[in-house]
Amino acid sequence: MTTAETTTETPREASALEKVTVRYTINGEQREVEIAPNRTLLEVVRDELRLTGAKEGCGTGDCGACSMIVDGKLITSCLMLAPQADGSEITTIEGVAQDGKLHPLQQQFIDHGAVQCGFCIPGMILAGKALLDSNPAPSELEIREAIAGNLCRCTGYTKIVEAIAAAAD
Amino acid sequence: MRVRIRVRYNAPHMRRFDYFAPTSVEEAVSLLQERGDGARLLAGGTDLLVQMKEAGVHPSAVVSLHAVDELRGISDESDGGLRIGARTLMNDVAAHETVRGAYTALAEGAGVLGSTQTRNMATIGGNIANAAPSADTAPPLAVFDAEAEIAGPGGTRTLPVIELFSGPGSTTLETAEVITAFRLPAVPDHTGSAYQRHTPRKTMDIATVGVSVKLTLADDGSIGDAAICLGAVAPTVIRAGEAERALAGETPSDELFASAGELAQAAASPISDVRGSAEFRRYLIGVMTRRCLGIALERAQA
Amino acid sequence: MTTYTTVGKPIPRVEGTHKVTGNSTYAADVQLPGMLHCKLLRSPYAHAKIVSIDTTKAAAHAGVERIVTADDLPEFEARYMSNRAYNLLAGEEVVFHGQPVAAVLATDATAAEEALELIDAVYEELPAVFDPLDAMRDDAPPARAPVGEIDRSESKGHVTVEVEEEQSDKPSNVVSQTKFSRGDVEAGFAESDVVVERTWRSAMMHQGYIEPHATVASYDPISEELTIWTATQGQFFVRDQISRMLRIPETKIRVIGTELGGGFGGKIFLTQSLAAVLTRITSRPVKLVFSRSDDLVGANPAGQCVVDLKTGMKNDGTVTALQTKVIYNSGAYPGAPVVIGAILIGGYYKFPNLEIEACEVLTNKVSVGAIRAPGAHNVTLAIESQMDMMARELERDPLDVRMQNAVEAGDEMPSKAVYSSIGLKECLKAVQDSEIWRDRNERPATPGKRRGVGIAVGGWLGGLQPAGAHVELNGDGTLNVIVGSNDITGTNTSFAQIVAEELAVPLDMVNVVTGDTKTAPFAGMSAGSKTLFTVGRAVKAAAEDVRSQLLGVAAERLQAKVEELEWKDGVISVGGDAEKSIKFRQLAGITTGFGAQYPPVIGRGAISARQQAPGFTAQVAEVEVDEETGEVTLLRWGIAQDAGFAINPLSVAGQMQGGATQGMGIALWEEMLHDEGGRLINDGLLDYRMPTALDVPNIETYIVEVPSEDGPYGARGVGEPSIIPGAAAVGNAIEDAIGVRVAEAPFTPERILRAMGKI
Ligand SMILES: Cc1cc2nc3c(=O)[nH]c(=O)nc-3n(C[C@H](O)[C@H](O)[C@H](O)COP(=O)(O)OP(=O)(O)OC[C@H]3O[C@@H](n4cnc5c(N)ncnc54)[C@H](O)[C@@H]3O)c2cc1C
Ligand code: FES
Ligand code: FES
Repeated sequence: MTTAETTTETPREASALEKVTVRYTINGEQREVEIAPNRTLLEVVRDELRLTGAKEGCGTGDCGACSMIVDGKLITSCLMLAPQADGSEITTIEGVAQDGKLHPLQQQFIDHGAVQCGFCIPGMILAGKALLDSNPAPSELEIREAIAGNLCRCTGYTKIVEAIAAAAD
Repeated sequence: MRVRIRVRYNAPHMRRFDYFAPTSVEEAVSLLQERGDGARLLAGGTDLLVQMKEAGVHPSAVVSLHAVDELRGISDESDGGLRIGARTLMNDVAAHETVRGAYTALAEGAGVLGSTQTRNMATIGGNIANAAPSADTAPPLAVFDAEAEIAGPGGTRTLPVIELFSGPGSTTLETAEVITAFRLPAVPDHTGSAYQRHTPRKTMDIATVGVSVKLTLADDGSIGDAAICLGAVAPTVIRAGEAERALAGETPSDELFASAGELAQAAASPISDVRGSAEFRRYLIGVMTRRCLGIALERAQA
Repeated sequence: MTTYTTVGKPIPRVEGTHKVTGNSTYAADVQLPGMLHCKLLRSPYAHAKIVSIDTTKAAAHAGVERIVTADDLPEFEARYMSNRAYNLLAGEEVVFHGQPVAAVLATDATAAEEALELIDAVYEELPAVFDPLDAMRDDAPPARAPVGEIDRSESKGHVTVEVEEEQSDKPSNVVSQTKFSRGDVEAGFAESDVVVERTWRSAMMHQGYIEPHATVASYDPISEELTIWTATQGQFFVRDQISRMLRIPETKIRVIGTELGGGFGGKIFLTQSLAAVLTRITSRPVKLVFSRSDDLVGANPAGQCVVDLKTGMKNDGTVTALQTKVIYNSGAYPGAPVVIGAILIGGYYKFPNLEIEACEVLTNKVSVGAIRAPGAHNVTLAIESQMDMMARELERDPLDVRMQNAVEAGDEMPSKAVYSSIGLKECLKAVQDSEIWRDRNERPATPGKRRGVGIAVGGWLGGLQPAGAHVELNGDGTLNVIVGSNDITGTNTSFAQIVAEELAVPLDMVNVVTGDTKTAPFAGMSAGSKTLFTVGRAVKAAAEDVRSQLLGVAAERLQAKVEELEWKDGVISVGGDAEKSIKFRQLAGITTGFGAQYPPVIGRGAISARQQAPGFTAQVAEVEVDEETGEVTLLRWGIAQDAGFAINPLSVAGQMQGGATQGMGIALWEEMLHDEGGRLINDGLLDYRMPTALDVPNIETYIVEVPSEDGPYGARGVGEPSIIPGAAAVGNAIEDAIGVRVAEAPFTPERILRAMGKI
């Protein structure tokens, strides 16, 4: 058993209402919260840690609005149980700008008019970041593949693809 | 007529459950055994969480495999085959060099599943254990005659992957059994394989029809061995045995592949649902089997 | 041509930084102390009598504070009951699958959802009807009890037409209809060289905003004040409706339109009234957030439509006659875009003879709401497909034929209203000049596939509503602009541009805020492509007011006449004389500082509705069709649209691309599917398929500028037109590729294969 998971001495008998303690390094900061294990990472980050940048558009992995980077991998946080991410390093949209400066992706999204209603944008930018972190010079097709799990209803994607390509330059 | 119905629509929250994160397979098995039928294994959660949120699946205990390191990773076997840990992520399967080279169909199946995000969470074990007839890695594993390694209260056993499935969403796994890995036999020279699926969107979709084939050519260029497996056209993925037999020993040609497509059609028993009518599915099997054979042949000849 | 410094430039969104850092507040982000979470029990039947609802067990569930059913609701005036928004929870009869019948309020969402299962509701199923054609038959079961007078307050927000629907007087599922005619259609068909007659169907589809409906409402029983944070396109509309409904004075209602995660006509007034009632019942803040399934099953999607259309053309390409019957399926409450559909189907071309009938039919599906250009894409699919079919039959160029017959300023619409200046022909010209159209016959297809190019046009008349705006000069010379319109398309950025332009200041000196309904000047709902057109005019007027106030102060200070003053680079001088000048900033000081001699500068702009400015678009699609699987791949897309004057070309292009993509969705994927019991079977975003980044190509935009008569700088609304012709363009491209016509959208591989006779 990993030890961090539960607060009870005899975890196997934990009652259905037992809470567990989870520790995250979120946007570089250590956070610890006590939560019921049926909460998703998205719920905990939004409701307990009050980082509301990640959005819930579907809750079932289909829209990408809840995307976060967990231990270097882009995931949909609505389908990750909060305790599954225990001990992980998490980046949410709030952690993308560094030292009071926008990340090039964020700046390019603004400059290219890639932001409309903004609801998909936190997830889009993290998808773009996950791509550029592993592939600094992606083709248009690679960009489109990388963001295919992030639905945007406002932009038709053209300007988003342009913004990511520009950030890669 | 008076009816009494209680219905809940797709609530996005999960019910309460006990949560466990064992660090070994043994521990996982004993937890499952203790908690009995109410317990569910959790791998990537991309099926289980969706079912818990919207399909009325309410386990009393969830046993997460994320801390069981022994379940993860791909390794070469001494007999030239490959062993893929059940908790290996789809993206890792799709990117693995040997998988791409020797087991191309599997790389294709793992690579088309969901989105980047889904593939960074979804595991190959979860895909098989979930037993959807549309599971994208099931037909490829089946054409390679992969075997599942299973650990349970009574020890370990192996079973051909195709024999794991007993119906849509149901498997022949016993209570407290855990799939630990898949073993893929070595692939002979002059073998080519492919997986193709039809989906309305280019991505982020579930197969309307999935077809995987594997062809091994004899020295004279004729077909030595053929395997065809169909997804989403029957209660489980199915091998198209008659089509396979019709190919063996023959010289590859368009007509041969077309007639294999027809035999494959006959093997299926598709249903009509939100992703397409039975007729449409049956039609597609013919086209896709023929095309898939063509691709596999090219790869076998390369 | 006038040259401008700030308007007409591609300016990034003023609120962009908040959105890219995750710092914007959307309604679901609002969390209040003591807040209760609301979940709705929805009907499992499309049509049934509610026999009883027993909530005893559910009420006793841990965490549940209150369960509310129709019995607990205040009574509303009968004349409003045709309006879905007033039917908060079904009382005696449920009329669509998914209709809310009870609301559970609990301390957390999980408890509320658990309690839903403990509610014991007993129904007696009634005969239901789902297809509009079935519902129109004489022996059809009534979809519901008679609706009474129809309350159409919401649909007027999207489009302004002078014609009213006629309501049917005898009990029937056909609740309203409209007829237009011109000339003699029989004579018109008689002189035609080709006549095409087809039935066109388009599916029920969802607006598809990524943010589901969300409202947080809070009522203070002592001050009797109601505060509502909500995702809406029209906060004043919400306020007015709730005031009327609950008989609370508008002064006691603060509606805060939070950042909106997409609306497209679907987020006007739906969850707010229920949340308001629930917070009044419990005196605790109530959060009502739809799950995606709630939103697909029980919001207000765009309706299904069936169009019978007969059209004729002469050998020389002139259109002769048009005869049509347009049937909109409204779902269980009236509100389909009957009149606009009737106008548009005969409103693109100069048909000398027409006979148009349009009606709306009630069925037991969820009732429909608006969509970007409500009703327009359905009728456009019909007329724009047939224009191509007639041209093909006569071996004429489909673009030439459109150009030849396109309406222009001065032409009559079927409603007899007359077009002001419009840019349909200019849009066609822009498409004609595009590379996609020019090399349509040159690009080779991938082996085994066939390529085709198609065009189609669309138009939207535009809405009108009065609006106000304030512009205030701050002590440091910066400017605050306060509007009441919810920014859904980048309008606040354009308002900043307008003020910067009018007052010749840099853009970063202007700050635009959308106030709430207690602080902002009135504005209509952000719908119908009218926000910039109306509120923009108010902002311009307010800026002009600031300018004249400032000139007055400067004239006094400089002891000169206003006419002698020159305004340049933030300095006001008498005829350019540096000695006799005052800086903008100084003016700010002397109107706001301690002991300042002059009153603060507060510009006021208030405008009323005038002439609409219809906006047209022409689009060109290049597709590749796999003849064996019926799969269609979109290869290239171009959209021309008349923006009148593009105050912000970046925003305009964004509107064009976004709408065009929704049009592609309508063309190829989007369809709400129901089982035989009227239950939605694709109630998630995996099976309700909106295009992903891999499904659509880069979209080329060609902005056309034919100035409107009345919009600011000649601008016209740009939000709606882009969605309209997508399905028709794709259908035309498919026929160009494989010679087969599919008459039902979306054009799925299965429908294409059937049309080809392959299955
Ligand atoms: C947006 C989205 C898109 C998707 N697209 C596709 C697609 O294109 N193709 C496709 O095939 N699937 C798709 N899926 C389904 C899902 O992602 C896959 O089936 C995935 O492989 C499941 O793996 P998992 O690790 O997430 O399984 P989990 O959800 O963790 O588990 C699934 C089931 O398997 C059981 N289980 C897991 N691991 C084991 C084990 N080692 N031994 C025994 N039982 C086990 C669990 O108890 C559970 O019942 C999609 C899902 C989403 C959310
Ligand atoms: S909210 Fe997680 S993918 Fe949509
Ligand atoms: S900007 Fe609105 S969904 Fe992408």
